[in-house]
Amino acid sequence: MSSPLPFNADLLRRYDRPGPRYTSYPTAPQFSKDFGETQFREAVLASNGDPIPRRLSLYVHVPFCLDPCFYCGCNRIITRDKGRAETYLARLYREIDLTAALFDRDREVIQLHFGGGTPNFLSPAQLREIVDTLRRQFHFSDSRERDISIELDPRFISPADVIELAGIGFNRASLGVQDFDPQVQEAVNRIQGVEETRAVIDACRAGGFKSVNVDLIYGLPKQNVEGFARTLDTVVEMRPDRLAVYGYAHLPTLFKAQNQIEAADLPTPQAKLALLQLAIEKLTVAGYVYVGMDHFALPEDELARAQAHGGLHRNFMGYTTHADSDLIGLGVSAISHIGDTFSQNPRDLAVWQQAIDEGRLPVARGMRLNGDDQLRADLIQRLMCQGEVLISALEQRYGIEFETYFAKALERLRPLVADGLVGIEPGRITVSPRGRLLLRNIAMCFDRYFDHAAAVTSLGFSRAI
Amino acid sequence: MPPPSRRWVSPARSSDCAGVAIAPPAFPQIDERIAADDGGALEFCSTCAFSQACTAQGMDKRGLRDLHVLVDHVGPFQAGDHIFREGDRFDAIAAVRAGSVKTYVIDRGGREHVLGFYLPGEVIGLDAIDDDSFTCNAVALDTVTLCRFSFPKISMLAARLPGLQQHLFRLLSRDIGRAALLAGDFTADERMAAFLIGLSRRLAARGFSPDRFHLTMARTDIANYLRLAPETVSRVLKHFQDDGVVCVDRREVELLDRARLEALAAAALRDLSPGRRDGKPAL
Repeated sequence: MSSPLPFNADLLRRYDRPGPRYTSYPTAPQFSKDFGETQFREAVLASNGDPIPRRLSLYVHVPFCLDPCFYCGCNRIITRDKGRAETYLARLYREIDLTAALFDRDREVIQLHFGGGTPNFLSPAQLREIVDTLRRQFHFSDSRERDISIELDPRFISPADVIELAGIGFNRASLGVQDFDPQVQEAVNRIQGVEETRAVIDACRAGGFKSVNVDLIYGLPKQNVEGFARTLDTVVEMRPDRLAVYGYAHLPTLFKAQNQIEAADLPTPQAKLALLQLAIEKLTVAGYVYVGMDHFALPEDELARAQAHGGLHRNFMGYTTHADSDLIGLGVSAISHIGDTFSQNPRDLAVWQQAIDEGRLPVARGMRLNGDDQLRADLIQRLMCQGEVLISALEQRYGIEFETYFAKALERLRPLVADGLVGIEPGRITVSPRGRLLLRNIAMCFDRYFDHAAAVTSLGFSRAI
Repeated sequence: MPPPSRRWVSPARSSDCAGVAIAPPAFPQIDERIAADDGGALEFCSTCAFSQACTAQGMDKRGLRDLHVLVDHVGPFQAGDHIFREGDRFDAIAAVRAGSVKTYVIDRGGREHVLGFYLPGEVIGLDAIDDDSFTCNAVALDTVTLCRFSFPKISMLAARLPGLQQHLFRLLSRDIGRAALLAGDFTADERMAAFLIGLSRRLAARGFSPDRFHLTMARTDIANYLRLAPETVSRVLKHFQDDGVVCVDRREVELLDRARLEALAAAALRDLSPGRRDGKPAL
């Protein structure tokens, strides 16, 4: 998957339809209220019972933001009241107590990630307290590959704070930038200077962080090729190890904040594609490798290297080098993935708090994957990470006859094959270079839950491009 | 390392349509060609513990029925269900038809001691013969079905069929040997190798894959049975895995270097005359 990334505007336009991003399969809308605390406990118990129990990844959700960015579709709470952090943390510690007690002590934590919201709504001292609490309650791996990562809003953190984070053990950071174009920043209510951003990246480097990621978004209001070109040049010059370039999905009926965006200010579909093309060209020229699903990395970065040797994985936190681990989500709306189950905490802060105050694990919904789900999840993971599916491997592993079992999916795939997005050869399905920007369209063909008939009009998912 | 391949019990035959799910994995992983069946009017179940002894005596299922030795198919029991408990009155022995069973006792201090694991075709409850009541607990590790034989009736039958009697004695002695297995002074590696090789041979004897199987028992059960700490079970398996001897993915185990495991297991299994591969190891 390391050949150049061809850009075909006509093709991308034709395939621009709403669909899931497959950070999980099945996707979160399939989770059910029938899956609650009892099922979660059973899942943990079963996972402890594996002969070699999986290692653990921890995710901590910090829901607070000081200011609303208008494009945002995340679950967050806008407040200037820093005091809210303390009441939140009191519950978080209780949740950590309740949860950690379920896991066998010899299960090593290999990854800890803070997402939001804005994790640096919390002070370095508060973040230190969380990390220390988790280190007491879980067994953190001493391995060099153990990561502690955080999403940072560069507007609200000083270089000195970043150095302090490094001292706590943070070693990867992801910075939101979106676009440096002032008129775009104004339209999305996120005014962020180049110099303050550069200072945070420099501080990460000085602190010895293993990688810095920068998030960009194309398709924002008032965005144009000239401004975005300057942003890309500026960012490339900062040389982050990883870059994510997301397409903006305007779904104001789902995400209230997006009502603040004037639809008239949004770029046309053609203009949006031009922005994507620009990003791909500039990043490719600058030496970045396309990892898949909006993500780029420098060739020497672990992510790019993992992709080259087939060691790439994907979970709720995006692409990762950490092989299958059980994921424990902590905090409001956080998602867990234990064994063959997914589960999610309440999205509503009050509901989450109440469960914890009553001494219950705050599991709101979830699901146990059946054999069919596991097979499709495996297949989609291979498409997204390796760009290739070996049919015999799946047939052997799941005891199926591929062509019969996936007759309908293969039928849905036929036009994509005709368009050269994907190749079906004897024994394998391969994503072709033209298909790499349309991974989710390919994956959708194998999604049993996806309403293929209603896809064209659905508002439930962001668009593919 | 690539994950081991796995087989579901009944490979889904069709289809891409919603609602059709693949059967969940069960123990042991059964190749469809040799899947345990329910027997028929004139055939024994393919995993029947007694079929060999009875057919050798020219006694088919109809013959048994004529003798009013009714074999009850009982179950299914779900994972965690008790099949019998210590002190329950003993009047029947049971053979596992499908699934797997753990037996254990609780000592005076309240600690559990795992006595053994029983696979399809194996007989549980033999230790109760002397006592008229069960001396241990038996719990299903996954979905379990059993064949129950009235013990008084099978005893009567055995008196008339020397082959059956012999078979019963053999089952008894095997059970005793199994319980005594791990009393010796063996290393953790040797115990684990003996455990895996023992399981493998027993599965092979019933026509299941000897090199690729699904462990239904929890890590703590294996540890308890082998008198090891749970962490040691994982540590040993991890180092077997790093050495390319086994591949473990969740509960699926694949034996990659049988010779090395056999060598490690030899002392604990105390058999290993090369001819003895008939599924009657000590474990």
